[in-house]
Amino acid sequence: MVMKKRAAIGLVAALTVSLSSSVGALAQEITLQWQATALSEAQYEPIWKDMVAAFEAEHPDVRIEPIMVPRADNWTKFVTSAQAGAAPCIVSVPIPSAAYNGYLMSVQDMWDSEPESYKSVWAQNAFGALTFEGELYGLPHYAGIYGEVYNRSLLEAAGLDPEALPTTWEEYLEWAKALTGEDHWATTVLAGPTDTTTRVLLSWIYSNGGRAFNEDLTEATFAKDPKSLEAIKFYLSLASEHGVAAPGPATLNYNEQTILFAQEKIATMRNAYWGLAKVLGDNPDLADDLLVAAPPANSEDAMSVATLTTVSISANCEYPEQAWEFIKFMNEPEWAVRMVSAANWMPLRTDLLDRPEVAGDPIVQTYLEIGANSLTIPLPTPAWEQIASKDVVEAVQRALQEPDRVEEIFTDLDALVTQRLNDI
Amino acid sequence: MTSDQDTTSDQAGTVPAWTSRGASRSSRPWRGAGLKRERWLGYYFLLPAILLTTALIATPLARAFWTSLHRTRGLRSDFVGLDNYVYLLTTAEFWESLRVSAVFTTVCVFFHMLLGLGLALMLNKVVFARTLLRVGLLAPWIVAPSLGAIIWVWLLEPQFGVVNYMLSSIGLIERYQTWLGTPELALASVMIVDIWRGTPFVMLLLLAGLQGIPRDQYEAATIDGASAWQQFRFITLPNLRYLLVVASTLDVIYTMRHFDVIAVMTAGGPIGATEVLPVLIYNTAFTQNNFGRASAIGILLLGVILIFAIFYLRATQPGKARED
Repeated sequence: MVMKKRAAIGLVAALTVSLSSSVGALAQEITLQWQATALSEAQYEPIWKDMVAAFEAEHPDVRIEPIMVPRADNWTKFVTSAQAGAAPCIVSVPIPSAAYNGYLMSVQDMWDSEPESYKSVWAQNAFGALTFEGELYGLPHYAGIYGEVYNRSLLEAAGLDPEALPTTWEEYLEWAKALTGEDHWATTVLAGPTDTTTRVLLSWIYSNGGRAFNEDLTEATFAKDPKSLEAIKFYLSLASEHGVAAPGPATLNYNEQTILFAQEKIATMRNAYWGLAKVLGDNPDLADDLLVAAPPANSEDAMSVATLTTVSISANCEYPEQAWEFIKFMNEPEWAVRMVSAANWMPLRTDLLDRPEVAGDPIVQTYLEIGANSLTIPLPTPAWEQIASKDVVEAVQRALQEPDRVEEIFTDLDALVTQRLNDI
Repeated sequence: MTSDQDTTSDQAGTVPAWTSRGASRSSRPWRGAGLKRERWLGYYFLLPAILLTTALIATPLARAFWTSLHRTRGLRSDFVGLDNYVYLLTTAEFWESLRVSAVFTTVCVFFHMLLGLGLALMLNKVVFARTLLRVGLLAPWIVAPSLGAIIWVWLLEPQFGVVNYMLSSIGLIERYQTWLGTPELALASVMIVDIWRGTPFVMLLLLAGLQGIPRDQYEAATIDGASAWQQFRFITLPNLRYLLVVASTLDVIYTMRHFDVIAVMTAGGPIGATEVLPVLIYNTAFTQNNFGRASAIGILLLGVILIFAIFYLRATQPGKARED
């Protein structure tokens, strides 16, 4: 009887010790939520899963919880959770808007404590979009550089030489007319309700040496800058006057554009490297048909557009040091190179450029050459989201409806955007 | 003690045994005190629901009103009094959105009622495949609005959409239309989708009403030589009058604050052509990052909806149906 009692006490004690140690272990485990739209992209999924597993193996006390969110809902979901003080620790959101609204934590001190050897590997021109009021709010993750993508077979079918892609607007228009038929078109004019509309419009403006904003971001110059206005008129005329763009621009965005290209309904598209991954996902038969070149230009000082995706720490994050470690980890060369190869993301670390996966890929090299002569967006203003996703989109839609009033419409846009830039 | 037993004791004029105070007040009519206590008992039972409703509805509403008195920028906000309301009421954006909402609601509710009544009459008559037809016609209402909207976006797609293909095949359109890309067509398109989505709800309500009309009224009218139209005009419509008022009022409220379909299909565009008030609230809050102004629009929309809610409450007052 006594033995049984002792055995029972021993068992209870052992269980208690075991349970308390388990509870202790659980209590020590840190969970970091990571919200990014790219998590649901098929080409990126195997990379981030390997990356998370590797990080958790190196940091057994930290668990990464991915939060998948559709591209269109990323900002809404982030703002809602940030307002509730429960935003995911690690997020990819437009830094100026998020920092201005108090949703992000400055990482300036963490950045300052990094060794020079680490800081120097980054493309320094990327940091403008990461800084708000003198404080750094994240690390660059990857870039999207806008070039002109062509379908080789469709060019050849139209009697055009794929080895001599158009470099000027005149040549491009000539090609566009040759590539347009009854149920297929040369390209798309994008006017759907996302900031992709603005990205592509800016790429046309920059290809004419124009500017849509002044240097200190206090004034919009879409119509005020003659080169900008000329570019807008030319770009929109592809749809309204020349009929070489697919119908229904106001319904077209990145997704529709890449679907049309994948289905060979259009022969060219203004897109970033990731657009090619999307096209090949939709139609793998085009693997040998894709050609990339700098956007056709109408000026000697022509440039293109590069968008920057960043990773930041939300203001309510309880474990910023661990979050910073993960952000650095995801930008390690091993993962960055895989992201270039599999997800078609342009690297932002200069120490990757000589890696064979990067240096040996002619399309990546073409994009990097275009990127060397590009202006980066989003611009560092808290009003960027509204300007890029709504104001410019509505002006483009309106101008397509009333092609005779383009100048007037973009003059009104200048006034509206200037007011927004100064109403901070 | 059951209610039947209560009734019995009432009729017998005796004091119910469970009312301890009843015996000491035998000189006063027991009935009033008992009913009063019973009424309070009802409130006690309702108390948890009242508290829950207060927590879930009144508190956010008060918070929304408080937010509407602020200029908000993310986590920062400054008290501005009624500035947001003054701004909204003096700028075209709000009035234009209200106009779009009014057009959208009027047209949609009209067709919900018209088609809902027609389908209910048809379903009330059919015998063959009745269940299948009912389930089939209810499908648009059963499908989640955002899912239904996505399906419609693809049906209306300008290059590959089935709608363009079918309409051009039968010669109704000469060239493919961009249904969601031009202001006039976009508003018409989202209205058609909302009519598709909202009609089954009205149909269901009216079908229930039709099945409650005594058959002998129709039999008597037939014997008297009334035509089908006369039977509809003088029997069906008067019997459905109460339900028609209820259905249309509820439908106005639902449609006025409808968000999902338009948000998915056009996000309020192009050029604000489909930006009804709920979509304007969303765009103001999340695109303009202005929660104060978005809350003010929400409060104004609530005011509009309250007018219809009061109308609905009056229409559904106890005894009103009998009077009608």
